[in-house]
Order: sequence, then structure tokens, then C-alpha cells
Amino acid sequence: MNKIDKTVLYNRSLIFSGFIFLIYVFLIYGFVRLQVTNKEIYLQKSINNSIRKIQLYPGRGLIRDQDGDILVDNRPSFSIAVIPKVASNKSVKFLCKLINLDEKEVKDKIRKLYGFRPVIIARDINYKQVIAIEENRLKHPGVISIVEPKRYYPEGIMSPHIFGATGEVSKAEQIMNTVYEQGDIIGKTGLEKKYDLDLRGSKGIHYLRVDASGRELGTYDINRDVSPIHGSDLHLYLDYETQQFAESLMVGQRGALVAIDVRNGGIISLVSKPDFDPRILTGRIYPAIWNKLQTDESHPLYSRAIQSVYPPGSTYKIVAAAAALQEKIITPRWKEYCPGYFRLGRKTIKCWKVKGHGLIDLNEAIKGSCNVYFLKIGLKIGIDIWTKYSRMFGFGARTGIDLPNESKGLVPSTEYFNKRYPKGWTRGNLANLAIGQGELLVTPLQLAQFAMILANKGVYHTPHLVDHIYNYSTHSTTKFPVDTKYITGISDDVYYVVREGMRAVVNGGTGWLGKVPGIEMAGKTGSAQNPHGDTHAWFMAFAPYDFPEVAIAVVVENAGAGGGVAAPIARKFLEKYFYNRLIPRAVAKKDTTDQINADSLTIPFDFNEIQPIQLFNAGENEDQ
Amino acid sequence: MRKSLITKLDFPLLLLIAILLAVGLTAVYSATNVPGLQNNEYFPKQLTFTIIGLIIMLAIAFLPFKVLQRSAYTLYGFSIFLLILVFFIGVKGFGAERWLSFGPIKIQPSEFAKLAAILAAAKYLSKQGVDINNFRHIISVSAIIIIPFILVVRQPDLGTSLVFLAIFIPLMFWAGLSWFTLFVIIAPMFTCILSFNFYAFLFWMLIVSIVLILSHRKVYFLITIFLIHILVGLLTPQMWDQLRPYQQKRIMTFADPEADPKGTGYQIIQSRVAIGSGGIWGKGFLQGTQTQLKFLPAQHTDFIFSVIGEEWGLVGVLFILSIFLALLLYLIYLARIVRSSFSSISIIGITTILLFHVFINIGMTVGLAPVTGIPLPFISYGGSFLISILIMMGFIINFSINRYEY
Repeated sequence: MNKIDKTVLYNRSLIFSGFIFLIYVFLIYGFVRLQVTNKEIYLQKSINNSIRKIQLYPGRGLIRDQDGDILVDNRPSFSIAVIPKVASNKSVKFLCKLINLDEKEVKDKIRKLYGFRPVIIARDINYKQVIAIEENRLKHPGVISIVEPKRYYPEGIMSPHIFGATGEVSKAEQIMNTVYEQGDIIGKTGLEKKYDLDLRGSKGIHYLRVDASGRELGTYDINRDVSPIHGSDLHLYLDYETQQFAESLMVGQRGALVAIDVRNGGIISLVSKPDFDPRILTGRIYPAIWNKLQTDESHPLYSRAIQSVYPPGSTYKIVAAAAALQEKIITPRWKEYCPGYFRLGRKTIKCWKVKGHGLIDLNEAIKGSCNVYFLKIGLKIGIDIWTKYSRMFGFGARTGIDLPNESKGLVPSTEYFNKRYPKGWTRGNLANLAIGQGELLVTPLQLAQFAMILANKGVYHTPHLVDHIYNYSTHSTTKFPVDTKYITGISDDVYYVVREGMRAVVNGGTGWLGKVPGIEMAGKTGSAQNPHGDTHAWFMAFAPYDFPEVAIAVVVENAGAGGGVAAPIARKFLEKYFYNRLIPRAVAKKDTTDQINADSLTIPFDFNEIQPIQLFNAGENEDQ
Repeated sequence: MRKSLITKLDFPLLLLIAILLAVGLTAVYSATNVPGLQNNEYFPKQLTFTIIGLIIMLAIAFLPFKVLQRSAYTLYGFSIFLLILVFFIGVKGFGAERWLSFGPIKIQPSEFAKLAAILAAAKYLSKQGVDINNFRHIISVSAIIIIPFILVVRQPDLGTSLVFLAIFIPLMFWAGLSWFTLFVIIAPMFTCILSFNFYAFLFWMLIVSIVLILSHRKVYFLITIFLIHILVGLLTPQMWDQLRPYQQKRIMTFADPEADPKGTGYQIIQSRVAIGSGGIWGKGFLQGTQTQLKFLPAQHTDFIFSVIGEEWGLVGVLFILSIFLALLLYLIYLARIVRSSFSSISIIGITTILLFHVFINIGMTVGLAPVTGIPLPFISYGGSFLISILIMMGFIINFSINRYEY
């Protein structure tokens, strides 16, 4: 150095070195922070980077009938999924063009996700689309196809209201139950919903090593993999042949049929018509069809057997009779004259029989379904007793059947009337209730349960569709826990009287068309007035009389008289149940209840005339 | 004569260079390794470049010292010519015109321009009668450095152009810049940064005024400096808008890499994951999952140190950092002992380039410095850069051999 002093240079080299030293402290701090302090976090991140979790979907549990026949099965379907971290904008565009999706919607779905976990974008795509995706696998590594099971119904299986449908989990459902992950298929309605946690099984996990482009390099560690567990199978109490037959009886009608095994509460048949083909709610749902189902004025999505509420009409006279008897307000001998009408204040209520029933006792009043007789009973017992007994018989409360969205119905009480009619309500309201009209509303299932109570003289069981559940992982069977209840406070004498009355109904009474030849039984008809048109036809029954097996309730909307429309349906069902065939009848006879002739009531039939009949037309689709 | 020349070779320096080159080749091998694939095209290429570079380095080392001294301006002129040529026949790479291709050989003129600028500045500063604290000479030296800087910025290669700015002050400082002049030169940079915030800018202007008043220089001179600051403060936000969007993005992502985890921030995040997951002892050679599964972008070039961090751990990182430290301190020592002030200033210039590259590149991999596309000397893959670094080393060895000459 010719110009600069050596000591100055020495000082400046020290400053330089000091500067380098500072930079080094800075750098080493950076490395220690990453490699020592936060090592575990980054190690985990690097593992997450290169290991992809593949979810293995378990087969959803099957639904079988009493005999083990498969009613609801699974079939593979293809879904398109996007790996958020790998998929480029171009890939998303390609995907949206291929399956005609809104690009923004798809991007919103994957925006907040950066992982390698595939997010399902569309389900149940067709084979052409699957092939297109697989062909472009290298070009669009972020778009993959996944095989998932979807529901399959064997030929001839309908009953959408029993099985229900499955669908993708919603945000709200995810919050309600944290087991659900985004994109899961869960039960939305029916048994699929009620037993979803049993049916869904548990997902398996397969670990794959992948590189940055998302290419799979092989398995990671086979010991870490978790196998999926097949969902448990539901074995129903019903025999599907009987159910099919019951459905065939209701074809073309609007209404419901509920048949319960009174010995344990098992559902023998549960029909709601009109219905729809459950296949249209599997896999991809087409908006046009879905809208048609939703806006159809006959409400096919609605399960009438458990969700619809109707005024029960005359079938409810049994409740009034039982209440009056138990409270000792009347005796079975109590007689009343029916002139064909009843005057209450300024109003005149007509009995259905214009000529009147004449002087009748309780048995005859039930048999002939006399309105005047029961209006008078209603006025005698008053609303509080009436409400109390209605509740005792299970009305106004859910039966607890293993299906979701069951209706409670409505049993009006004093408070209800006070609220509803602040200006005061009349005795007319009360009288109406006694004959099953007015504000009272029941579901067909509740009425079937009521028939079960009468059959068992107070003992009843929670109605249930599922008999047992088979678990694939433990290979064990769990029986449905039948809940048996007993109504206290009603004596056997009361049951005896009303049951005798109901026996008379089918033996020459209003429900004679419901009588199954050779089987002693009891029933009650009802024709419920309603604002929508013709009366709803009701019939409830149980059989056999002494050792009951079946309780049944049938309702057909706006079809007319219960004895003429509902009773024959119940009869056919019971014939199928007891004889496994229909018994042809002699010519339909005119109702001759006013000239009761015990001999004429035995309907003659010749066993040689019984012909095999076609029970059910499997291909028929009543929706069209 | 020949024998004595070899004994004169700077063996400590050669050893450090050899270690770094070996480390570089190993890291490049690992970074470009494809599992299951035998032919790795990067490693043989880099090996060839290394050998060519070493031959050039030794050739330069044995050139007569006077030749180097005299050719400084010629080299500078030639490199400026190449930089201009790049605009006309340059090859696009990564969205910027940076390469000149002569048949199979592709070179990056900006790499050689760095060295040429240093040599030219050193030559100018070491001239008899040049007072570095004289305003006229400061302007001349500035011009020598600013011209290639502007040409590189226009390419537009932000990372490389920053190197020119980085060498400017150490060169002047080493050449004997007074503390006041240093302040006058450095202060506008702070003005640049602070001009984005009005209050910070106001406060900084206050400090500048106080320093200026306390310096007791001529009033018109002080006012001129003050006005320059105001001008810089006003123009900087405008300049920011002139930057290419990707350059802006790089600077912004540096502040918050998580904001754009799929785009620019992806590199930093993946690099941090690679280094952090390496821990103290590393995952082992060819065992880094981030590296081997190609999660690291540019892992054989700009982000090669992440590979080292992942596979060799903190131990490997500290080892390489200490080799670099030894090299840097040794170069400063050399700069102090050589007799020729041309050599001395040149060595400091080259040292600064090395330090800048090491700091920015390694700092970038741990998220402490912006991602600017600056490679790591001796280690990153890339022939042009490696050879240019080895040429610099050739000059230094030459200066070391001729340390007693004026």
C-alpha cells in the first residue's frame, strides 16, 4: 500500500471482520431456530409432504329382510377428486369443462386446502368421463378418479320411505357430529339416517409415498395402514314379500298402511303411497328429477305412515268408550236413542245414518259407529278426561319408531283450546273430538299402535323396523332392544267391552268388508271429514281375536268411507299374512247393518274356488 | 522458475477452494439424483465446469501481475460491450435476457462484469493522485460501477445487479473513504427504504440535517445533499412501481412467505421444511425426502444449501459456514498484506461479492433474506457462475503470488 497507513488498514480489516461476524451470528441464529428449536414441526411437515393418506372407503352396511334377503346393497361408482396442492388452475379448468361444473364453485371448495388429501368434486360420473380423466392423468396430476361404493337396490325393491337415501354430508351435519368428514356419504333420511353410525363402518387409511408432482412412489409402511371396517348390516323384522304385497295393495292410492306384530312391536309392513323409485336418489341426483319430486303436489317424498297427521274419525270412538267406561261415567248397558241427528245449541250434527240407529247400547254403538251416541259420551266425560285417555293410549306423542322425522300428531287439551279460542270454546268442539274430528290429529302409526294396545289389553311395544344388527368386525349380532310398556289404570273389563264392540264391527258392523274368513278378529272403521275433499277412509284392526298377532291401520286419503275402502285393503293384507294368498269373496254385499241377521253375516265361500292370484306386479311404477 | 512459481502458490486458499468445490459437487449430485435412474446429467456437467474453471483459475494465477494490472480497463470495456450485446442477441432464461450463446457455450456476461467492474474501480482508485474523498473521484468510481449496474438491472436481473451496489461501499471504504463521506453515500439508501413511511422519512431527515450541520462543511454543499435526499425520498415510491411484478412479489413475499403458499412463498416454505427437518445430524446423503422427492424448487441451483441443511443437518451447515468464514477472513488478511493497492482493493471487492452471495443465498434458504436468484459460490449448479468465481479466485491467487509487487 502506497497511500494508506498500515494501521488504518488494520482497523478497517477489523471492521470488515466484525461485519462478517455479525452476519454469521444472524445466519447461525436462523439455522438453530429451524434445525434445533423447531425441528419436530418441520420434520412432521416434511413427512406430511411426502406421505399421502389414501382413504379406504368401507362398504356401507346392507339392509336385509327377515329371511336375510338383501334389500339395499352397494355397487361401485366413480368420483372425481382434486388434490388441492397439486392441481393447477389449468387442471381445474379441464375438469370443469369435462363434467360441466362451475369453475368458481370448485375453486372455492379447494381454496383453503393445500394438502395432498383428495377432495371429491363430483360423484357418480360416467365411464366416458372416467376414461378421459385417466387418459389425462399425466397432464393433470391433480385430478384423479376414486372408486366409491354407492347404494344399489335389487330388482323389485321400492319402499323409499323405509330405507331412506344417502347423500354428501352438509356443513351443519358436520358440526352436529364430528365423526363426519367433508365429502362423506351419510344417511339423509329413513333407516339410512337413523342407523347411519352403524351402517357407515369405519374408514381405512393407506399411506403412500409421493413426490412433489403427486406421483405415487409406492406404499409407505404397511404396518401403519388401517383396514376399513364394513358397516354393520341391518336385519329388518319385516318379510319383504309381505311388504311388497302391502305396497301393491296401495298402488294408485294416497295413504298409508302400517302393520305391527303385536307380540314384540316389529313392523310387518310400513307403506306410504305415492312413493318414488329409491334408485333416483343414489349416486348422482339430477336436479330436474329432484325438483319434480319436491314440487309434486302428491308429496311422494313424504312418509305418510309416520309423518302425515290426519283426523282419525270414528276409529277414535274407542278411546271415548274406554274413557267413559273406566271412569264409570257409563256402563256397557247404557242406552241412548239415535234419531239420525244431534242438536247441540244452535247446531245440528248429523249421524252418518240418516234414518238413525234407534235405541242402542255401547256394543251396538261401536258396531254401527253411531255418532249421536258418542257425541253424548263426549259431552259426559269432558275434555280433561278425554285428553288424559288420549295421551294414555299414546296419541299426541311419538311412538319412538326407529325412523327419523316422526310426527307427534296433536291431542288438544283445555290449555290448547284456551289458547286457540281466546273468546271461549264451545261444547261442540269437545263433542267433535269424541268422534275423532276437530283439532285432533294422529299418524297412521299411532293408530296401529293403538290397535296393538287393544289387542294386548294394555301391553305394547315400541314399534321397530330393525330386528337385529350384524357387526362385521366382532362377528356378533345385536338384537333390537324391544321396549315393552303397559298402560296402567284401565281394567280388563273395559278392554273386554270395547274389544267385543270391535269384534262386532267386522262381524256385520261397518267394517264387515275387513273380515278375514276363518279368523276371529276385531276392527274399527273411520271416515274422517277434512277440508281437502272427500273423507279419509280409516280402518284399524287386530287379529286373531284371542291370541293376537297383527295390528293394522290403513288410511286412504279422500277415498270415502272407511268400511268400503280401507277395510278391504286391511282384509287383503291379513289374508296374505295368515293364508299367504287372497281369498275370493262372494258378490259384494250391501251394508245391511240396520237389519242385523246373525246368519247372513257369515260370508259363504267355497275353498275349491280359491285360485292362485298374481300378488304383485314388480315392474309397475305408479309414479308415472 | 516454474518450480518456484508452484511453491509460491497460495496453498491455504487452494485447500479452502478445493473443499468448497468438493462439497458443491456432492450436493449437486444429491440434489439432481433421481431414485432408480442411473444417468444423472447434471453431475458430469458440473464436474466438467469445475475442471475447466480450475484450469482457467490456474492459468490466470500464473499470468504476469503487470498484465492483469494493465488489462483492467480493457476487460471492463469488453464486459460492458458484452452487456450491451446481451440486449441484441441475448437468450431468454426465466423471463429475463441474461445469456449470450456462442455455439454450445452459453455465458452470463453479468457474472464477468462484476469482476471487471471491481478491477476497473481498483485500478482507478490505486492511481497516483486519486483522493477518494474528492467529490470528482467519487463520481468517477461511481460511474464505473453504476454503468454495468444499470445494464444488468435492465436485463432485468435484480439479484445480480444488487451485487454491484454491494461492492460499491466496501471498495470505497477500503480505499480510504472518510466517515463523513461514507455517511453522505450511505444515507440516501436509508432514505430509499424509509420513504415508504412518511413519519419515518421525516424523522430520518431530521437526523440527516443534524449530521450535516455538525459536519461544518460549506453551506451550498450541505443544501445540495439535503435536496438530493428529498428527491430520493420522493422518487423511490415511483421507482417501486417500475419494478417487474415478479420482483415486487419476491420482495413482498420475503416479508410474509405464508401469504402465498402456492406461489412465491412455496420456495421459502419448502426450503425451511427441508432445513428444519434435517435437525442437528441431518437425514444423510441421498436420504432427504424434501430433496429426493423434489419438493424443493431450484434445489440444485439457488436452493442448494437447503439440500445441505436437510441431508447434512446443522453439523454440515456449520462446517460449510466455517469454511466460508475461513476463506473470507483469509481474503481480508490477504487484502491487508499485499503491497499493491490495486490488488488490495480488488481482493476486498471479490471478498464482498463472496460475502454478499453467501449471506443472501444462505439467508434466503432459512427465510432471513429475500429470494433474489443469487447462487451460492462454489456450490450451486451452473457453469457460468462457477467459472466466473474461479476466475476471481485465479486473480486472487495471482495477487497472492505477487503480493510483494507494487
